[in-house]
Amino acid sequence: MKRTIAYLSLLFILGVFLYIANPGYGLIFGPGGKEWLSLRYTDNYYITHGLKEVGGMNIVTDIVFDYRGYDTIGEATVLFTAIAGAIALLRPWRRDEA
Amino acid sequence: MRPRCGSDMGLIVKTSSRAVIPLIGIFGAYIVMHGHLTPGGGFQGGATIAGAGILFLVAFGLDEMKKRYNKSLYSALEGIGGLAFLGVAMLGMSVAFFYNTLWHTWPFNGKPGTLLSAGFLPIMNLAVGLKVFTGLVSALTAIATYRRWKS
Repeated sequence: MKRTIAYLSLLFILGVFLYIANPGYGLIFGPGGKEWLSLRYTDNYYITHGLKEVGGMNIVTDIVFDYRGYDTIGEATVLFTAIAGAIALLRPWRRDEA
Repeated sequence: MRPRCGSDMGLIVKTSSRAVIPLIGIFGAYIVMHGHLTPGGGFQGGATIAGAGILFLVAFGLDEMKKRYNKSLYSALEGIGGLAFLGVAMLGMSVAFFYNTLWHTWPFNGKPGTLLSAGFLPIMNLAVGLKVFTGLVSALTAIATYRRWKS
């Protein structure tokens, strides 16, 4: 009996998730359709102009290395800082040698 | 069964990693080289190649890794990667930082979609891939070298 109730409640939760995930009448994450084009015109700009302005077929690479190059510099700096921090924290300290 | 004193793994793991490590390296080099054409790029391909190095470290142990790992070479390669990235970004400084001037004014560019095209994007992918590969291998080697517990 308890097991049946547990499976039924799991099925109910799955149904609720499926209902929510349907974009037709469930939750809508952000605008869509024409409203999306008017609000997020930069996405469309990258898709239409990326190949001509930067030259790469991979639009993500176009964005990462050209339109958002500063972000990539920051990422490389974060990587360097992580390695420097790992070595600085993990190297043998004078206290450990005794 | 006596406890293992070395830090390397057994024969099966070593043999299969000998077979797998070159394939991982080739796949990572493919991802880095085709960064401007197919999904992936410098970061992802560099992390893949670093995965090959970390597999070597895990399978063959720290003693073998210390013989193969050259600290000054790796730090020099990481510096070269970062400086090449910044220097290529400076090339289009007359228009803007990170302006793809090689793509707009260079006469030897291929058609978009070929391997030798897209101006500075392949150079940047190679630089970032080199930087990420050497950086991750150095970080994992440092973590393995400076462990605090006694074996």
